[in-house]
Amino acid sequence: MNNINPNLNTNLFKKIKNSLLAKSKYNFCNFIFFLISISLILKILTSIFINSNWEVVTSNLNLYAFGSFPIDQQWRPTLWFFSLLSITFITVYGPKWKWLRKNLIFGWIGTVPLGIYLLSGGLGLNPVMTRHWGGLTLTILITSCSILFSLPIGILLALCRRSSIFLIQKSSSFYIDVMRAVPLISVLFFGQLLIPLFLPVGLEIDRVWRAVIAFTFFVSAYIAEDIKGGLQSIPKNQIEAAKSLGLNKYQINIYILIPQALRVALPAITNQLIGLFQNTSLMAILGLMELLGVSRSILANPEFIGQYIEVYIWLASVYWLFCTIMAFVSKKLEQKMTINKGY
Amino acid sequence: MSKNKKIFFQILLVFGVLGFLGILTNNLIINLTRTGIGFNFNWLTKPASFSLAEHPLPYSPSDSYAWALFMGWMNSLKVIISSLVLASCIGTLIGFLRVGKNSFFRIITAGYITVIRQTPLLIQLMCWYFVGFLSIRNNSFLNLSNVVNISNKGIELFGLNLSSEFSALLFGLSIFSSAFIAEVIRGGIQSVPVGQWEAFRSLGISEKQGFIKIIIPQALPAFIPGLTSQYLNLAKNSTLAIAIGYADIYAINDTIINQTGRAVECFIILLCSFLILNLSITKVMGIIDKSIMKTRI
Repeated sequence: MNNINPNLNTNLFKKIKNSLLAKSKYNFCNFIFFLISISLILKILTSIFINSNWEVVTSNLNLYAFGSFPIDQQWRPTLWFFSLLSITFITVYGPKWKWLRKNLIFGWIGTVPLGIYLLSGGLGLNPVMTRHWGGLTLTILITSCSILFSLPIGILLALCRRSSIFLIQKSSSFYIDVMRAVPLISVLFFGQLLIPLFLPVGLEIDRVWRAVIAFTFFVSAYIAEDIKGGLQSIPKNQIEAAKSLGLNKYQINIYILIPQALRVALPAITNQLIGLFQNTSLMAILGLMELLGVSRSILANPEFIGQYIEVYIWLASVYWLFCTIMAFVSKKLEQKMTINKGY
Repeated sequence: MSKNKKIFFQILLVFGVLGFLGILTNNLIINLTRTGIGFNFNWLTKPASFSLAEHPLPYSPSDSYAWALFMGWMNSLKVIISSLVLASCIGTLIGFLRVGKNSFFRIITAGYITVIRQTPLLIQLMCWYFVGFLSIRNNSFLNLSNVVNISNKGIELFGLNLSSEFSALLFGLSIFSSAFIAEVIRGGIQSVPVGQWEAFRSLGISEKQGFIKIIIPQALPAFIPGLTSQYLNLAKNSTLAIAIGYADIYAINDTIINQTGRAVECFIILLCSFLILNLSITKVMGIIDKSIMKTRI
């Protein structure tokens, strides 16, 4: 065994040695840092795997996933998760049939009404009140609904900002600037407080939908700014070419400008959406039972009191996993779009 | 579009927007009179009658709401400015290590950036507060005679007393923003053409000298826009202080709304304060940008 590849070992050793001790004068400093980080990592690992009690996570998995959703109805959110997962899988790894790729967007849009239908019930399913929605289900529902509403509004705002009509341009840029200036938590809080005040007497909107509206208001301003950047990157001769082909203004916008702007702005928009997913945790402060809210109520349970470390590590890894998946899907989409650029 | 058409559209838009706003204001007035709150700012001079754990200037519950709001402002500014400085220092260091030659540091910083960026700030803040400070069981975590003393009551540094809420917020905000700032720094340094590196190496200038005198000055203008937006984000994110009970401007607005129910007025106050804050950050960064541009001829 020893004689098979003696080079491998020495090479590997040399590589490690080179990378750790790249320069003689940094030798000592590097070594100290190396020791410190190794000991820190070891300490964290021991505290995660040996010293902590993971029962607070394992015995409450149901709560984290579905909140207080009725147990006999929990197949509904599960089904929705499954449909979301499968459409993600198809988008990333699915076949390259043209009709499939063209209609995939409708599949994505369709998941949102499907989710609302499965969660709220009616039409043959037992109705479930929104106050029973919770956990990861609610987090994903708020995120997906806000994405669905804020994308078209963001595109519209970006187009308005470039409009040649003075008032439209000024009012949309005023809206975008104001929304980008205020902190999200205040938009959410005042969304909860002020939306009922602006509605006629008798008409009421549920807390979850008020949150979705507030998120939509907020995120659409940011998306508009990203799409504006995408629109600016399109060379002017594209518009001139389209005009010379006899397309009118709406056709230019829909067939020429928006697809290219979206393609350029996709990474920035994905960042906004990842931020949106993380920021749904703010609703916990305002009393909604999403992922963090559920965790806070679990931590308030005398049985699990004081087990902050376990819960926060668990939460952080869940958020991290979902954000990484979102970033991965967007990267794949980007690659697919650049391939399609050829024709 | 012809000119007449444009004017027609504008008039239509004005009427549409005015009509919509009119309906909304009408609803608002109906709702406010129905609940008996009304709309005025007279309550600002009335005594606040809530106490604040932290106030840089003398404050007592018998002081007015306006003074309490001002205290919130001071607290906000305190945490924003100090975490802005700390975040810039950590972020710059990590950004430099991220592009450096040492692959060990490159891996460590890359891990740091992904972990910090992909987890919500709110969870990080709560982690710093509940796990970091409140769970220090014995009275003191680190006690170096009179220089620094970390305990569950906060940090004592050279006799300067920082409460645990403030310290948790400071660390949470700085570490969260530093990951983003590090990315800005990395992007800026990578925007300098590789030819510049090769050129100073071929001239026999040492790596350190070349990095400081040739690469950094060229990368500086590329830092400014990214840094500005990160500083703005930091200022806005500081409002999450409410989750750990630090009395910043938003938390005090929240308390006042709970006491008086004046949501509309408080929203206007908060909006104005953040517009002013954002404008001043943008102005200061603009001045810095201009002074950098001047040195570049």
